[in-house]
Amino acid sequence: MSIRLLALIPVAAAISLALSAAVDAVALPLFLDTTGTILATALAGPAVGIATGVVTSAVNTLRNPTFWPFVVVQVIVALYAWGAARAGLFRSFRTAVPVGLALGVIAAVTSTPISYLVFGCTTTGGIALTTALGKALGLPPLGACFFGSFVSDFGDKAVTFALVTSVLHALPRRTAARFPWALRAIGVA
Amino acid sequence: MTRLHPFTLLTIAGALPALAWVLPAPAGAAATAAVALVLTLTPGASPGLTGIGSSPGWRPGLVVLRAALLTAAPFWVFLLLLHDVPTTIAIGLRITTMVASFVWLVAALEPARLVEAMVAAGWSASVAYLFAATLTAVPMLKARAQRIAEAQRCRGLSPRGGIASRLRALRALALPLVLSALHEVDERALALETRGLRPGIRRTTLAPPHDPVVERAARWVLLLACPAALVWRLL
Repeated sequence: MSIRLLALIPVAAAISLALSAAVDAVALPLFLDTTGTILATALAGPAVGIATGVVTSAVNTLRNPTFWPFVVVQVIVALYAWGAARAGLFRSFRTAVPVGLALGVIAAVTSTPISYLVFGCTTTGGIALTTALGKALGLPPLGACFFGSFVSDFGDKAVTFALVTSVLHALPRRTAARFPWALRAIGVA
Repeated sequence: MTRLHPFTLLTIAGALPALAWVLPAPAGAAATAAVALVLTLTPGASPGLTGIGSSPGWRPGLVVLRAALLTAAPFWVFLLLLHDVPTTIAIGLRITTMVASFVWLVAALEPARLVEAMVAAGWSASVAYLFAATLTAVPMLKARAQRIAEAQRCRGLSPRGGIASRLRALRALALPLVLSALHEVDERALALETRGLRPGIRRTTLAPPHDPVVERAARWVLLLACPAALVWRLL
């Protein structure tokens, strides 16, 4: 791994964690905690993306220990984003947003068993409340847990993909060309 | 406790939650939660990098315990909302063990000592760099995000209204933050190259943390206790 890609990993991880905090300023129910993972993958490939996801989870764990078991989700997000970057799906919002919505479903399916078995579906307040809503609607425990994860992940991953698409297009071509996957991700190479 | 080798601190913080999940509930999880909460009272623990629980009204010795209790409390509320009382107690004690162990770890473990220990143990300097650089970059980017939010508000950005206007506000906050962070990558890469950080090169530590034989043995005992407890449960 080149020094530039090594330097990208902590920056991308810090972007995820800083955005998670900044999103409070606009009062939107989003996490954006996979932004750095998706961005690093789109810029530099799956190894850098996975490393960013693992570092993000490890550092996030120091703030909230319940994040660590979900490191698997970060790895899946990185692999999925790599597929999207290879196919050039960050070329426009019209292609990126549906891919983000599909990732929301995959992330919910992946995180539901972890959330259910390890935490009894109480990982964050928002997910716990939507799980309670699912339970009140008559869903079985695992179904209610999936409902909670799905509601939180579905929109979050679509917004994250749209945000990464904006960043990739706003990046000067000279800067983008320094990263091996950036131009292919936006469909110009 | 803070003078323990960083690997010993990590092993304790990792083994306690593992044992909480493996040992039969609620007795096993109650025991591990009690140990973890007592650890938060050990001398030398400070609120740590995150600054959680640092408020003037609390005695210094109780700050870490308070942070652990405040972090664990919402889980108990939500568990009670979703489950019956026996399940709430079983899962709640396990989550409390996990929360208290990690809050204590953050308070007791200095990142610089961990990096020294990793390099002294033969880990790649690159791996040590990843964690240390992220820990220092997060507060810096959070402060920058705050400045960007204030600057955008001065230019008339409003975080109110419908979802579309909030998303536009998010874009106006996130784009400058992410682009400025990406422009720093080259500077960081140059600094790393200047300091000779290349893959495969072993570095010498200035003051590697002392790692006595007793601690190494205790780490192995703790690490072996987790699979042993799992086998005992399965049989």
